[in-house]
Amino acid sequence: MSQVDYAPLPVADTHASDENAKYHTFVNLALVLAAITGIELVLVYLPFNSVLVFSILISLSAFKFVAVIAWFMHLIYDKLLLTLAFGTGLSIAGGTVVALMFIFDRSHVDFDAITAF
Amino acid sequence: MSDTATASNQDSHHGLVENNKKLLMWLFLGSDCMFFGTLIATHLIYRKLYPEAYDPTTVFDLELTSFSTFILLMSSFLMALAVSAMHKGQMKSFRRNVIGVIFFGLIFLGCQVYEFTEFVHLDLTIQTATFGSTFFVMTGTHGVHVAIGVFWLICMYFYSHTGKMDPHESAVDVEVAGLYWHFVDIVWIIIFTVVYLIEFIGKT
Repeated sequence: MSQVDYAPLPVADTHASDENAKYHTFVNLALVLAAITGIELVLVYLPFNSVLVFSILISLSAFKFVAVIAWFMHLIYDKLLLTLAFGTGLSIAGGTVVALMFIFDRSHVDFDAITAF
Repeated sequence: MSDTATASNQDSHHGLVENNKKLLMWLFLGSDCMFFGTLIATHLIYRKLYPEAYDPTTVFDLELTSFSTFILLMSSFLMALAVSAMHKGQMKSFRRNVIGVIFFGLIFLGCQVYEFTEFVHLDLTIQTATFGSTFFVMTGTHGVHVAIGVFWLICMYFYSHTGKMDPHESAVDVEVAGLYWHFVDIVWIIIFTVVYLIEFIGKT
């Protein structure tokens, strides 16, 4: 195998400073994500109201989800078309999950009919 | 003049290929969202319909799963650095970060194999309970995605040693692999909350 290394690309100063700014953003984001994961773990053991804990967990999860997509996946730096391409799939998926949860509501299911099989 | 025009055409062709590769990957990830959406919905529906059928808090090891989640998040961070290094033409930095991502990916898979083995010892298999069926299919599918990502990155790492990988030409390929890896991470963020954490609310 070759051990060839490459000279840095002849990027403009602004491009280089953009990449350096991104590096600091990535480091900060990684620290925030790690901290949130720790908070989530502690939160479920605290004697708070269940609805409150549930809401906070969902909010923190949504924040982590959006943060990774926006910064780690570069979506805020890229074209709007890419956001639309992913957003369409994500919306259909989210809509399907919510719709299924409502369709299969406990009060609408005939358990006797299921157990009859 | 002619040379300038040819170079300009090549640049615009290269830009078009880059954009198409990224667009295709984002479309694929959008469709994969629907795939995981149905798996997660199926699991949640069975938990909602039969909440008393199985108590997963008796088998879940929340500390281990939190550690796995942390590892996967850090692997995403290293992947972002690997993509950035490739954009800057820093091949050594790229390789170092990719090795880190592969290592963390393997740790995650190791944790998952350990967790599955423990569940089987506790008599929770894909056949013994509905909870087991939906849980193993969903997390197993995610595990397969992680394994594919690790394999992809291993191939990319060795390819970078052949001398055929030009930072300018291959930056978009690394970025596309990075998108896949980050997607695996965001799916786990959702699974960690709605499958693991929520089960422990009000039970500790």
